[in-house]
Amino acid sequence: MAKLDPLIHAPARLQVVTTLSAVSEAEFATLRAALEVSDSVLSKHVSALADAGYVRSRKGVQAGRRTTWIGLTSAGREALREHVAALRQLIDMVD
Amino acid sequence: MESNPVQQNPDDPRSVLAVADQARQRLAAGLRLPAGLHPALAAAVAIQIGAAAYGIANHTTAGLAVALAGVAIFMGVAALTLYRFQRINGVRVDGLTSQIVLGTGLTSTLAYVGAFGAATWAAFESRWWLVAAAAVAGGVGYAFGTLRWWHAYRHDPAAHAGGVSPRMLAALAVLACLGLVALLVAG
Repeated sequence: MAKLDPLIHAPARLQVVTTLSAVSEAEFATLRAALEVSDSVLSKHVSALADAGYVRSRKGVQAGRRTTWIGLTSAGREALREHVAALRQLIDMVD
Repeated sequence: MESNPVQQNPDDPRSVLAVADQARQRLAAGLRLPAGLHPALAAAVAIQIGAAAYGIANHTTAGLAVALAGVAIFMGVAALTLYRFQRINGVRVDGLTSQIVLGTGLTSTLAYVGAFGAATWAAFESRWWLVAAAAVAGGVGYAFGTLRWWHAYRHDPAAHAGGVSPRMLAALAVLACLGLVALLVAG
């Protein structure tokens, strides 16, 4: 049985990792726009996820300005897969 | 891609998943391919196939140079396309990179292999109009395969986002050039 992951159980964190699963890397501003959150909120979640090894970030240049690129790690993808499976099991049990 | 906003209830797993999926779809739906990608890719692949067929059939230093120039043109167009995609969208999608550079989709692979074989045979027979026709058909098929991949990606981004990393691609590009040189020298 799949287990819920406390680190990405918070809806905002789940949105971050789910959105990142659509790409290999996203620029910070692109991710912020997709999630419709503030810089500080996204920074906080990315830091927590990076500390857990679920996302990686690197500095880069986009259209001539310095920016941060963020991508899911393989551990993050696996954690997302497991967490979503656990949520679906919960839904099935309720149904 | 239009979607109705889902009101989130943090205690309802169905709602939590729906909102997360919606954010992912919002990102994927906002991505745009660079203008002129498909014609440019079709032309680059056609040039590469035609140049390689000529080089393999020719067995000369000039033939080798033409074949390598074809590879260089293709790699240049692919690199420019991917750079423009990244710059326009603020994301990198390895699945797209694999599709454009390696033609990893079934349609692109079949189109490329079929056209390359036909063009090479035609070059050995000195039927240059057939080389050109096969190269153009291969280029169009390859670009169509990319278009098909793009539609599949937009439908299910998570399933199609993965692919070969840029470092692996660089290594494969070097290997491909070395392989082409070996093929031409051995031939």
